[in-house]
Amino acid sequence: MKKTLLFLLFFVLTAITLKAQDFNYGTFTQEEINMKKYDKDTSAHAVVLDEHGTAKFEETNDNGVKIVYEYHVKIKIFDSKGFAKGNVAILLNNNAEQDETLEAIKGVTTYTDDDGSIKQTELDPAKIYKTKLNKYWTEAKFAMPAIKNGCTIEYTYITYSPFLGRFPKWNFQSDIPKMHSEYDVHQPAYWTYNASLRGPLKLTKDIAEVERSCFNIRGSTCDCSHMDFGMNDIPAFIPEIDMTSPLNFLSSINFQLVQYHNLSTGAVTKYAKEWTDVDYDFKHSDTFGSQLRKKGLFKELIAPLISGKTDSMDKAKAVFEYIQKNIKWNEFYGTGSNDGIRKAVETHSGGCADINLALIAALSEAGINAEAVILSTRDHGFINKLYPVTDDFNYVIAKVDIGGKSYLLDATDPLLPFGILPLRCLNDQGRVMSLDKPSYWIDINTGQKRIRTFTVDLTLMPDGKLKGMFIQYSMGYDAYEKRKEIKRFNSIEEYVESLDERSSKFKFLKPDISNLDSLDEPLVEKYEIEINEYKNPDRDHLTFNQFLFDHVIHNPYKLATRNYPVDKGMPLTERFSLTVHLPDNYVIDSPPQQINISLPDNGGKFETFFQPDGSSFNYSHIIQFNKAIYEPYEYTALKEFFNKIILFEKNQMTLNKKS
Amino acid sequence: MRNIFFTLCIIFTNLVTTNAQQKQYDVSQISKDILPYASAVVREKEVSIDIKDLNNTLYHIKEVVTILNKNGDVFANISVYHDNTHSIKYIKGATYNSFGIQTGKFSESDFEDINTTDGFSLFEDVKVKHYTPHIVDYPYTIEYEYELRIKGTLEFPDWRPNNGTGIAVEKSSFTFTCKPDFKIRYKEINTPSGVTVQTDKGEKTYTWQVSNLRAIKFEPFSPNDLNYLSIVKIAPQKFIYYDIPGSFNNWDELGKWEYDNLIANRQELSEETRNRMIELTKDITDPKLKAKKIFEYMQAKTHYVSVQVGIGGHQPFLASDVDKLNYGDCKALVNYTQSLLKSVGIESYYCVVEANSVHKISLDNDFATLNQGNHIILCLPFKNDTTWCDCTSQTIPFGYLGSFTDDRTVLACTPQGGKLLHTPKYTTTLNRKANFTISESGDLSGDVNTVYTGTDYFVREAVIAESPVERLKMTQNIYPINNLSIEKLDFKQDKGLQPATTETMKIKAPEFASTDNGKINFSLNPISRIANVPRQVFNRTTNVYINEGFTNEDEYTYTIPAGYHLDNKTFRRTVEKPFGKYIATLRVEGNQLIYNRKLELINGIYPKEIYQDLVDFYQSAADEDSHNVILAKNN
Repeated sequence: MKKTLLFLLFFVLTAITLKAQDFNYGTFTQEEINMKKYDKDTSAHAVVLDEHGTAKFEETNDNGVKIVYEYHVKIKIFDSKGFAKGNVAILLNNNAEQDETLEAIKGVTTYTDDDGSIKQTELDPAKIYKTKLNKYWTEAKFAMPAIKNGCTIEYTYITYSPFLGRFPKWNFQSDIPKMHSEYDVHQPAYWTYNASLRGPLKLTKDIAEVERSCFNIRGSTCDCSHMDFGMNDIPAFIPEIDMTSPLNFLSSINFQLVQYHNLSTGAVTKYAKEWTDVDYDFKHSDTFGSQLRKKGLFKELIAPLISGKTDSMDKAKAVFEYIQKNIKWNEFYGTGSNDGIRKAVETHSGGCADINLALIAALSEAGINAEAVILSTRDHGFINKLYPVTDDFNYVIAKVDIGGKSYLLDATDPLLPFGILPLRCLNDQGRVMSLDKPSYWIDINTGQKRIRTFTVDLTLMPDGKLKGMFIQYSMGYDAYEKRKEIKRFNSIEEYVESLDERSSKFKFLKPDISNLDSLDEPLVEKYEIEINEYKNPDRDHLTFNQFLFDHVIHNPYKLATRNYPVDKGMPLTERFSLTVHLPDNYVIDSPPQQINISLPDNGGKFETFFQPDGSSFNYSHIIQFNKAIYEPYEYTALKEFFNKIILFEKNQMTLNKKS
Repeated sequence: MRNIFFTLCIIFTNLVTTNAQQKQYDVSQISKDILPYASAVVREKEVSIDIKDLNNTLYHIKEVVTILNKNGDVFANISVYHDNTHSIKYIKGATYNSFGIQTGKFSESDFEDINTTDGFSLFEDVKVKHYTPHIVDYPYTIEYEYELRIKGTLEFPDWRPNNGTGIAVEKSSFTFTCKPDFKIRYKEINTPSGVTVQTDKGEKTYTWQVSNLRAIKFEPFSPNDLNYLSIVKIAPQKFIYYDIPGSFNNWDELGKWEYDNLIANRQELSEETRNRMIELTKDITDPKLKAKKIFEYMQAKTHYVSVQVGIGGHQPFLASDVDKLNYGDCKALVNYTQSLLKSVGIESYYCVVEANSVHKISLDNDFATLNQGNHIILCLPFKNDTTWCDCTSQTIPFGYLGSFTDDRTVLACTPQGGKLLHTPKYTTTLNRKANFTISESGDLSGDVNTVYTGTDYFVREAVIAESPVERLKMTQNIYPINNLSIEKLDFKQDKGLQPATTETMKIKAPEFASTDNGKINFSLNPISRIANVPRQVFNRTTNVYINEGFTNEDEYTYTIPAGYHLDNKTFRRTVEKPFGKYIATLRVEGNQLIYNRKLELINGIYPKEIYQDLVDFYQSAADEDSHNVILAKNN
């Protein structure tokens, strides 16, 4: 009972101190009520009128410290597409010992009633629902009451977080525009954080000052660093196709804990001032460094795998394959092994850190020096490289050097070849975390490509069918993707049947698929093929289009301008060669023109060749996209490049019967 | 609506691992006949329901499943759903290698307990305990059993031994045990051998079983699974549900029970709101127009938010709550609209329907159960004019249902009892007229005008909801014309009794035609093309089901540049089949080419043998649709 009272008191105080900065809850202006659309973006379904956040530290009842984060927003809703803003979800993190808590949720909807009067309806606290999503995350959800076109919703809540290493970030930009957004940050001098601004938008308010004696704990007092960040007239963020994570471009403020001054001992714990500090922490962390040293775990498992092997590469591949097959990825990301790699090995299940740290330990047991590389996956955004921000990293892979060459390994997927990373990892650079050397940056995307080659040889038969041979070679990442597609079926027969069922025009016979399980080799698919091309071949003119299998019909890039880079992850090369044998009494009337177009700056090319040979001909082309990323200034050229290909592919050849 | 048994199945037999059984789990024992298309095989499954008394049911499941390859891992995921009326008594299990030798055990403590999330509800008061044994050597076998104690005797899950694709069944059984005075009705669908009934020691036992079922392979155009799966449905006569007693033998009695217990006391509204409805409609005399006015009032005021709590997800929120909150799920919004209508003396029905845009699924005429239906719609029984409404959309016209709930049997829950009614069937048409000009350099320009009716009324709804800028972007992605630029785009919606959406566009497409040696080459039908020819199915097992019939008619007029003529022949092509018709014609009038296309599909169930005809029909239409013409310079 007493505890509750204390708690109440505590809230009252909080509310008073916070009110000094925040906009007033539950108030509205006639202007807001009358607003019919947002002048700066008339297509907006809703606009944030005002948004305010405060983050500060507080001593808890049990002498602990928590970050208190208060969020407060007021949103004008113009039409029913904006109603979704009234469904609010707040994510709360927890680990085995501690959890984030949510308090003081309040919400009010202001609207004009049917009789023209202005009314307010409060959110009913009984209608706030908590849902446990998994062992780390809980979600609190509520729907704002009395929403209708033209209403204003406003809500506020406070979260308490024991995770001091993760100071709440602030997103200035979202999918709807904002008129004003402000984040008020108070950080006691015991904790030092670096703040970084992401995105292209400029702060309109940027105050940093010392706040005297602002934090009391266990009788002692310290100063705070007070920062107030604000932006006005923030446009909505509009994602574009083929872009990497919007997080990279959304304007936001992020924090990284640099050091902590122990309250009782006065000792300073550095977190991330320099990479050397980070290196030290990783090396000594229970979830990272000490896991890497658990090579003994693999002693008996590894011995039979490498016995008789002398070549490092053979050993490395055997170990890689073993980990790939023996620990199934549970789709959790992270840079540390929470439950330890021993458990992952025992239960045959783990997150990316469990799997790849186990891989490194097992490689060391096999006598191969491997290092961990921490990185940020594509959907997690780019890494800040000005100074270390450990929360920027969410994935870990392995790096081995064999025969003077580096290989990056990810054992989360049993179909990935040695040295090929999944697309999600291909995001700029990663940091190599060695147990015995200082850490350093490396490029993650080291020449990974999609390469495919088609060789087709067809003969036009008297019945109008084209018969012959179809061979497809898939290499690099393309082979991985193709294997995944084939393995969705229970057998090759079922895969080929599905290929055959795809269209009544094509028949795939006598399949011969090689290297399906030899991941390092190109995947080769050979079929005898029959194409029902002409129902009535005995005509004076036959039209023929050489793009029998794969037409580019749509230009993926339709918009006139582009704001963000086109990011396809990796380059692509496609070669296609088609030989057609016609009956003797046919001649080619209009052969395709030979074209050779390229993207500026060696960005790519499309080149075609045509070679007639009596009553046969060979057509071939090569399409190359040499870059993984095309900058917005290259967009127009890229769009035009596609246009040219589409136009070329539309053209048909005419085959004339000799008279 | 929520149903705890959507993915849950249930039983009881003791888990004894004798040598005999282990040997039984040897993978080599599986008959080769049932392996095609299977990534897992149910070796043995026993589902049991045991009625202890009207308010106490035991559900028990025991399953042994062999996972053949990585694709089958999904079948190793064990999920046990529970809520405050379904409590878990125990869960246990074991894993075996391909020789049937036990490799591990697991228990309830290995399971993680989380809330269910259906993807659209804000909240559901159902939790799920789930666990997946991770085994890396294929094939492997897992065995598990669990028991639930359930308060109540109304909702029994259907027995569906071969539900889902990719899994074959060696042996599966269903046992229902009760006292002889607990009367049940049951319905068997596609069960090769019928029920065995035994009475022993004062207990009556019904048993069904199947064996050696091949895995189901997905087939396009397949009918609703009631047409080919083995299913047994069970309904009680007397029951208790959430402490409410009841009994029923047919839809009339079930509908009455639902009305009395779930709806009747939920419709109270404040006097203020009732007066507002009277005020709103005071100048209207026609009851249908009054209802329309109130429906539109409700639409403007509310929106759909799904929160599933309370009586099995079957009871609507109070109408007065919706009045205050402006939101609710389908039940709440229909109940609220009914209450509003009641204030002006208009009678309406709360109707249970199986909403589905892929299959039109009717409630079973002669077998009433509570677990049929997943949506609620509103019926207004005007004299000689039954009107239907869906209350969950802000934009749907009054009196219109769309493909989600049209043309099927539904249950109206009324104070007089349940009535089976049939929702209307729509005539769906698309009429498109375009006037294009082709320039000598191959550029296209012109107007396109399209009218959509019937279930197609809704096809542009997502576009219309957007801002003008976004509408342009989306429309650009809908039409497959390369280099398309839309100069003007307009939508008009007639929300009358025959709703129609009209789309008008002014477009341009530079380099639409390719030009070469004084010839202009372009595709006659750049818009209404068959984009996807259905895949073939070898050894098809299911009949061919066409859900939605329609008639699409297009007419494109091309004005060609002066000094050019059509180099090809004009044509008229027709493909006619029992299920549809395709006609494309090209004719020349002066300097204009006139292209007409008509595609008609007739809904219904057709024998499986005609499936290849359907594929060929689509292929011929697609081939004709990609017809190119060449304009040549006059000499």
